[in-house]
Amino acid sequence: MITLQELERHLAQLAPDHPERRAAVVPAMQALQAERGHLDDAAVAEVAQLTGQSTTEVEELATFYSLIYRRPVGRHVLQICDSACCSMRGADRLLASAEKTSDVSMGEVTSDGTLSVLPSICLGLCDRAPAALIDGEALGPLDEAALEALLRRLRGKG
Amino acid sequence: MEAILTRHLDPAKPLGLEAYRAAGGYRSLAAAFDLKPEAIIRTVEAANLRGRGGAGFSCGLKWRFRGLDAPRPRYLVCNLDESEPGTFKDRHLLYGGPHQILEAVIVAAYALQVERAIIFIRGEYAHGAARLTLALAEAKAAGLVGANIDGSGFDLKIEIHLSAGRYICGEETALLNALEGRRPNPRHKPPRPSVKGLWGQPTTTNNVETLVNVPHILLNGADWFCGLGVNGGCGPKLYGVSGKVHQPGLFERPMGTTARELIFNHGGGLAEGRTLLGFLPGGASTAFLLPEHLDMPMDFDPVARAGSRLGTGGIIVLDDASCPVAIALNLMRFFARESCGFCTPCRDGLPYLEQILAAIHAGEGRAEDLPLLEELCDKIAPQSFCAFAPGAIMPLTSSLHCFREHYEQHIATGRCPFDAANEGGA
Amino acid sequence: MGMIRIDGRDIPFEEGDNVLKAALAAGVEIPHFCYHDALGSLGACRLCAVEITPEEPDPLNPNKRPRVMMACLEPAREGLELSLSAAAARGAREGVIELLMTNHPHDCPVCDEGGECHLQDMTVACGPPYRRYRGRKRTFPNQYLGPLVHHEMNRCITCYRCTRFYRDYALGDDFGAMRLRNEVYFGRFQEGPLESPFAGNLVEVCPTGVFTDALFRQHFTRGWELETAPSICPHCSVGCNTLPGARDGTLRRVRNRHHPELNRWFLCDRGRYGHQYSEHVARPLLPHIAGETVSYHKAVAAAAEQIKVAGAGLGGLGSAREDLEGNALLRALMTRLNGGFAAFSDPALEAATAGAVSQHHKAPSLVEMEQADAALIVGDLTAHAPMMDLALRQAYRQGAPLAVLHNTPTPLARLAATALTVSPREMGAHLSRLSELVADPATGSGNEAALIAIAACLTAARQPIVAGVVETLSALEIAALAQLTTVLGARARLTYALPGANAYGAALLAPTGSSTALLEAVETGRIQTLIVAGNDPLGDTRLGSRWLAARQRLDTLIVLDCIATATAEAADILLPVAAWTERSGSFVNYEGRAQGFAPVFQRPEPLPTITEVITDLAQVLDLALPDVAAVLSDVFPGYQAPAPGAHGAAIPVFPLPARIDTVSHPDRGLDHGPWQAALAAWYGDDPLASFAPALMELTPAVVARIAPVAARTKGIEDETQVMLRGPAGTLTLPVQLDDGVAVDTVALTRAMLVQLGIGHGDPIDMEIIS
Repeated sequence: MITLQELERHLAQLAPDHPERRAAVVPAMQALQAERGHLDDAAVAEVAQLTGQSTTEVEELATFYSLIYRRPVGRHVLQICDSACCSMRGADRLLASAEKTSDVSMGEVTSDGTLSVLPSICLGLCDRAPAALIDGEALGPLDEAALEALLRRLRGKG
Repeated sequence: MEAILTRHLDPAKPLGLEAYRAAGGYRSLAAAFDLKPEAIIRTVEAANLRGRGGAGFSCGLKWRFRGLDAPRPRYLVCNLDESEPGTFKDRHLLYGGPHQILEAVIVAAYALQVERAIIFIRGEYAHGAARLTLALAEAKAAGLVGANIDGSGFDLKIEIHLSAGRYICGEETALLNALEGRRPNPRHKPPRPSVKGLWGQPTTTNNVETLVNVPHILLNGADWFCGLGVNGGCGPKLYGVSGKVHQPGLFERPMGTTARELIFNHGGGLAEGRTLLGFLPGGASTAFLLPEHLDMPMDFDPVARAGSRLGTGGIIVLDDASCPVAIALNLMRFFARESCGFCTPCRDGLPYLEQILAAIHAGEGRAEDLPLLEELCDKIAPQSFCAFAPGAIMPLTSSLHCFREHYEQHIATGRCPFDAANEGGA
Repeated sequence: MGMIRIDGRDIPFEEGDNVLKAALAAGVEIPHFCYHDALGSLGACRLCAVEITPEEPDPLNPNKRPRVMMACLEPAREGLELSLSAAAARGAREGVIELLMTNHPHDCPVCDEGGECHLQDMTVACGPPYRRYRGRKRTFPNQYLGPLVHHEMNRCITCYRCTRFYRDYALGDDFGAMRLRNEVYFGRFQEGPLESPFAGNLVEVCPTGVFTDALFRQHFTRGWELETAPSICPHCSVGCNTLPGARDGTLRRVRNRHHPELNRWFLCDRGRYGHQYSEHVARPLLPHIAGETVSYHKAVAAAAEQIKVAGAGLGGLGSAREDLEGNALLRALMTRLNGGFAAFSDPALEAATAGAVSQHHKAPSLVEMEQADAALIVGDLTAHAPMMDLALRQAYRQGAPLAVLHNTPTPLARLAATALTVSPREMGAHLSRLSELVADPATGSGNEAALIAIAACLTAARQPIVAGVVETLSALEIAALAQLTTVLGARARLTYALPGANAYGAALLAPTGSSTALLEAVETGRIQTLIVAGNDPLGDTRLGSRWLAARQRLDTLIVLDCIATATAEAADILLPVAAWTERSGSFVNYEGRAQGFAPVFQRPEPLPTITEVITDLAQVLDLALPDVAAVLSDVFPGYQAPAPGAHGAAIPVFPLPARIDTVSHPDRGLDHGPWQAALAAWYGDDPLASFAPALMELTPAVVARIAPVAARTKGIEDETQVMLRGPAGTLTLPVQLDDGVAVDTVALTRAMLVQLGIGHGDPIDMEIIS
């Protein structure tokens, strides 16, 4: 992922109406989200400033992409795959267990702000089903025990 | 067969530039610069290298169609947006061998004489993209990417674009819209991207697995490549086997290897006491094959003749404890959720199908639901704007054909016979 | 050029047409949603399914079987054969409707769109009559999008027409398509009024009831219950064709009416929503004498009495917003009684308009403006003739470079290849310089880069357009624009936003200098009785206070109008008249195209037209006054009143001498203090629309706008309070810095200028308070 600084340097070299300005919108959203935790309204406006788009144009993209979070997420994000292979190997139970163990609903943030659990499309970890990503790192095959241990560790670390 | 594409893969610690070179990496550049673009394209075409992203279109033919004198600037896009359920081969290539990918992109870019190549990576592979970024920096520092590569006179910029999610971004024209900073809806063809693609310029898109075959073809020749296949296939294939098998994994085997060999010899077969219900040969957007098809070569044409598609070659195995209705529902839910929302049949048709399947699976189905499903499938697939919806329909249509009695049983008994006690209901 | 065959019927097509477009033009109703003549093909709805017959059918060859294709994406070619009625095509269309109906709410009985709903029509034409879907419908919250457009997202069929109009066609940027799958949401980033002056077109472009007319809702009636008649918009000089709708003696809404050369599919929001003045609670409906309500006949009798008493001391002031008939008959009355007649309350505006009209260079129609390959815009065209702005946006979309010279902020500056802020006092010099640079580019010097670029751009174009806003230009500057156009050559076309729906007609009827003569006659007491028809001299920016003072010398001020202007409030005898939807008449638009409008409805309290009042006055005075038709054919030989609903006809034009003197060209304060005032109008700004409460909710902030560079040297910042002083009054306002304002210029709204007694370009005193 490109940093905000690198992005600004790259954009500074482009003329205001260069078509590749708007092409930077996805890296810009990712960079700001990495800094802020999620892409809030102010961040959408900042992205718009960078790319020369309107806030609506940025919002059109921010709300399309699954990995751009327009609402707060926990410091840790656990994405549990619910596609075919993982589903065949117990993903539904993992999802339910994750919610129960962390006392949080899918998509919400735990009360201490540490964790969000999200379902995900196929993660390309079918050979390690049922699988998940924790902060982008691959996990699997997971069972409920391993999941519970992970969640306790994440919440404990705070 | 000896490993070719997987020989140097190491997901724990991929080879750095020096180690990769020491192992024979980047030798294909010299071979490419010797052959020259037109000859490279002819060789790739003669090798019958078919697209590994799902469509199976002849790579050499695609390159030839773009034309040697297409207007500049021209672009090459390496599609690493792998999101098809049951497919994980590109993840292995990315995490385990970034330099192999770069070498492939360089020689393909040289063959196509493009100024810029963009590697489009799905957002969930961010850590892999980071590895590729490091490898790219190494390659640039060594003069393998940039101006006058290895004194050849060929200039090439390579960029890595990390996507932000969504399956549709893997569709060629939606990917171009994503790169341009637009909403990733697919585009109408004509014009084809090879004529008017990225920013209106000629653009060629290839799956990463397709591309990593090219250096080997250049080093060893088309005949060699074809000789690697069996049952009429050409080249090696990265097959995935997952689902209800003992040892799910990635297996590099000759193109044309049978399903039986892949599922039972390599995938470790089924669980104790279970029998094969059926399998999807190449990811979610294909049609089910049955035990009677186990000896079919897993190659594009034979699978197509049987009414399915080889697709990505990611085999998903169902056993007799899998509920086909639940699988069909899971797949349809996936597709309905990932629809970009552009055209009516996909956007409003797939959720309708999902609703009916959910009702059937929950024991609330009615007899007329089955002909209704078929009628809707017939209306949705042919009329949609891109190939996404037809891909969503294919497993459902074949499921209704192959496993109809399961649907009828759900409807007749008012419940799912494979209840929750049984391995997650599927 | 060729023929395609649809179900055995030959249909002609033009080069580049798709099948759907050719079919619709020939009256073959291929069902469709997302296609729109203005917006082109998209291929999203999948409703326009037709079955193509292959040239050599071969049932064994899958490529040579009949196949279902989307008509909007199928290029028409000679010999193409297709069927609308084939079972496969019908089945495909039925499938699309069924799918759309899974989510569409059962709103028809309570939905505004019912009865004029394209989705209803298509569903009845193509779809299954009943739902078999048993699932839940997806629903959405709605957004507040401002006072003009109501939002009801549950009804959306995701045809994308709204965003293609708003963003692609009108180049707005605060509206779009969020999310994906069956949750695609059309709205704004945050709730709030839509910013485009053309937002109201969403109401007509949307094929269902997602976007509906928020005003129409407030006093709702079904579309089929409305009385309608072809009409012409009275709010600016473009003369868009409209279709107002009324019921039970009240005007309810205004919609677009297609004109092949002017407005084809769209209106601006001023034209669509400015009609609320017609039902305004303060609208004068009953005649008054000295504030007391009287009968019409009593008022006419009293007015006739005062006219008789005045003898030759009679004056008549017509208006650029009143029709040809009213102005002509008023002038005829004055002529008959040796009275003075004028049509403008500001001599400078009269001279500028006369100058513009006299250079009638075959002004381009809106459609021709869309095809310009370069344009120079002088002034804030968006505020004074919004549909000209929309036409030039189409030229811009085709790659035409725009150049803008402006005193105050204007939306087109954002799209301009070259935009230059120019203070009013410098505009003339800039325009002259442009002519010089076009004639001889070599004379350009280093610090004239912008003007050199503009000159080069115009010279290189094959069909450049030069567009000026008359209200913010002097007659001298208008002459300079004409000169520029002449230097550019025959391929260049000149056009103006004139100050009123019938400004062109009024200029032809009012002799040059008549405005000055009339004002002076009132001031000196030579005129004792003044009839004002549809004008508001007391509300004039520069001369309002002079007219107010002059009015004190009048014995009798007789006002004929349909809105409660300052002049109407000051009337001795007020005769309310029919608004434009309540009568017939003709307006001459900026092209010199006379267009007729028909009465849409009658009010319960019957109102006379201006011509009827004058005719009645003449009768009481026992005067033989020719009828209106005779008067008009006298002024314009060969004139035929244009039939409402027809495309209009060019009014016969004669050259008007444009007299240039100090009265008509007030000293622009070259030696005066540092600041000049400039009129910052906006797209809702016109006398009639100022009585439209919903539209007026969108009035820009009450601030004094100043260029940042000018402000900082004088220690002024955002929010600084300043006191502005003019001959008629003072105002204290906060400052807002805006780099769309020229240096040394203070951009003020019309109301502020009236309060100060200052006109566009006049010097102004500004003092910092805090």
